[in-house]
Amino acid sequence: MEKAISRQKILLHHLNPSSSTHVNESSSLYASACVAGDSAAYQRTSTFRDDVVIVAAYRTAHCKGKRGGFKDTLPDDLLAPVLKAVIERTNVNPSEVGDIVVGSVLAPGAQRASECRMAAFYAGFPETVPVRTVNRQCSSGLQAVADVAAAIRAGFYDIGIGAGLESMTTNPMGWDGSVNPKVKMFEQAQNCLLPMGITSENVAQRFGVSRKEQDQAAVESHRRAAAATASGKFKDEIVPVTTKIVDPKTGEEKSVTISVDDGIRPGTTVSDLGRLKPVFKKDGSTTAGNSSQVSDGAAAVLLMKRSVALQKGLPILGVFRTFAAVGVDPAIMGVGPAAAIPVAVKAAGLELDDIDLFEINEAFASQFVYCRNNLGLDPEKINVNGGAMAIGHPLGSTGARCVATLLHEMKKRGRDCRFGVISMCIGTGMGAAAVFESGDCADELCNARKVDDLLLSKDAR
Amino acid sequence: MPIFKTPFNGYSVKFSPFYENRLAVATAQNFGILGNGRLHVLDLSPEPSLPISELVAYDTADGIYDVAWSESHDSIVIAAVADGSVKLYDLALPPTSNPIRSFQEHTREVHSADYNPVRRDSFLSSSWDDTVKLWTLDRPTSVRTFKEHAYCVYSAVWNPRHADVFASASGDCTLRVWDVREPGSTMILPAHEFEILACDWNKYDECVIATASVDKSVKVWDVRNYRVPLCVLNGHGYAVRKVKFSPHVRNLMVSCSYDMTVCVWDFMVEDALVSRYDHHTEFAVGVDMSVLVEGLMASTGWDELVYVWQHGTDPRAP
Repeated sequence: MEKAISRQKILLHHLNPSSSTHVNESSSLYASACVAGDSAAYQRTSTFRDDVVIVAAYRTAHCKGKRGGFKDTLPDDLLAPVLKAVIERTNVNPSEVGDIVVGSVLAPGAQRASECRMAAFYAGFPETVPVRTVNRQCSSGLQAVADVAAAIRAGFYDIGIGAGLESMTTNPMGWDGSVNPKVKMFEQAQNCLLPMGITSENVAQRFGVSRKEQDQAAVESHRRAAAATASGKFKDEIVPVTTKIVDPKTGEEKSVTISVDDGIRPGTTVSDLGRLKPVFKKDGSTTAGNSSQVSDGAAAVLLMKRSVALQKGLPILGVFRTFAAVGVDPAIMGVGPAAAIPVAVKAAGLELDDIDLFEINEAFASQFVYCRNNLGLDPEKINVNGGAMAIGHPLGSTGARCVATLLHEMKKRGRDCRFGVISMCIGTGMGAAAVFESGDCADELCNARKVDDLLLSKDAR
Repeated sequence: MPIFKTPFNGYSVKFSPFYENRLAVATAQNFGILGNGRLHVLDLSPEPSLPISELVAYDTADGIYDVAWSESHDSIVIAAVADGSVKLYDLALPPTSNPIRSFQEHTREVHSADYNPVRRDSFLSSSWDDTVKLWTLDRPTSVRTFKEHAYCVYSAVWNPRHADVFASASGDCTLRVWDVREPGSTMILPAHEFEILACDWNKYDECVIATASVDKSVKVWDVRNYRVPLCVLNGHGYAVRKVKFSPHVRNLMVSCSYDMTVCVWDFMVEDALVSRYDHHTEFAVGVDMSVLVEGLMASTGWDELVYVWQHGTDPRAP
């Protein structure tokens, strides 16, 4: 067998180079046991020069809407610090950035686009760097990252920033204007109007997620987030923001630096949550305690071509592999991740067992528990530093926040953590998911699935 | 035109110097990477529309990368085998007596064999063990080993006029010219910036030699002025696997390539590509021109087919 591999190598060298004019270009052709097989991701090297990689990912602390540390902070003042951080901490020239894409949901579209443009100027970007917003509801931050990755892969530019911003203090959830009477004729259209909490009740009822299970999930989320905060795990990803707090009585402004999430309740117990009344439905199970928190926050992710990162000497935090958005029944929109995750994982040539870490948005405990159980995921791999029920869910920012949390945790875990998945459900009935790979070149993997026969795909067994 | 289907992937084809209707084909299983090999000796029918018949076939334990006819005996064929051996076959003897000799000195795959056309008493083998060896029929060990190359030696070819001179082409990007009477190579030609897969001497001008390379080009050199090639022939889309000068026309040559085509060139004219034959559906690996019939050509490739056709006609024509 060694002889065959050796011969294959010699013969394959005859097919180099891909172009006779690029004399010193490193080889782009690799011998591979079976590049099309179901183990492809483990066979392929992780050093393709055209990969889209993440070199920085940061977020602000997440604070309660209207009552938290950012209650008097304007939205553009939330976004500017993370945009500034991704540039300053990597020493990338701001003028080299090809686009800044910001996910944001609740603000009026034109106004939010202007605020993001203004934030870019605060952060030191020149007028030549364009800015735009994207709204895919709760996955907007992830969609922004995916849009930038797609643009880099398409060759529109080499460096881009995917970000997310939401100030639910400034722009609470709500519906402006009247409803088209036509929705009565289409049940699915009518279900798009359901309050999010009702969809959570639908998931709990239809799939049998008990109140106790939901409260337990919420307690676990708070416990993990508190442990992560206490051990300083979030220090790497949180950018301190200097802002102001206005005393409502005296109007006095006080300068503060916000660097810690303020929605986390470490002392929460199942019995405490058991006393809360259901908010959306009589005899229901969804409460304020087992739902994500209304929050303010922002996050930003710096992406570039791998060859550019190598040229600049930047450490690679992660590799963007795939993204998928899928549609589901609006009445049970919370099941979106259960539909989206398998699609994204399969598109990456992987299986669920290959994924070492998950960040699944906890819009509501019911949908989170359902998705976890439906996919058969190990709870020890999901939201290991807490989730949206503890940290908060600023709608447009969460996707980018999860990128920062996931990649920093993957970096800490080292070789034992090679693939990560981020996913969230989306209002009106969608799910989005993305697959990331750890940034270092692949070494021997302690937990890699054993592949007994490299030459056989699963279909051949 | 005659076609022959071989069970294994074709690696080399050579016309017999004694019989105009006879040729030998070297084949290897699984593209020469793993498995057995087979040497076919084929007879062409006098009528081109009739099929090729197989005179005899010899199986080997490993793939056969090249074949060479003896210039002194009409029935002796030499096979370069991937297990490092060089085997001699005598068609006049029954299969049980073959191979009549097996030389086992190369430590890696033997990639080419060439018989001395002038003195007719010796032949060369070149190997992936970076060496070229000189053999005679009557001695059990090699006469000499030439060791200067730093990577696989893909081809070693005798000069058609000087009995002691040969050239070797290597993956170390050099062509070396040797005189067996000298202790070392007499000339080192850094002909290409990539591996050189084949070389051949011009049959009418003993100073002209062609090299074929992974960089998709064929270069023609005059060894008296080795700093710049006489010409560079571009046109292949992938590495050029073999190159041969015509025995009948001074300026004509043929090449085959991993781009699955066989090209005929006139290296003295501005537009050098005379014709391109794209009959193969896999890498074209072997090509030869008959010394006895002008314009008669044969080629073989990894599509397991051997084509024989007259230059200027369609190899696939019935």
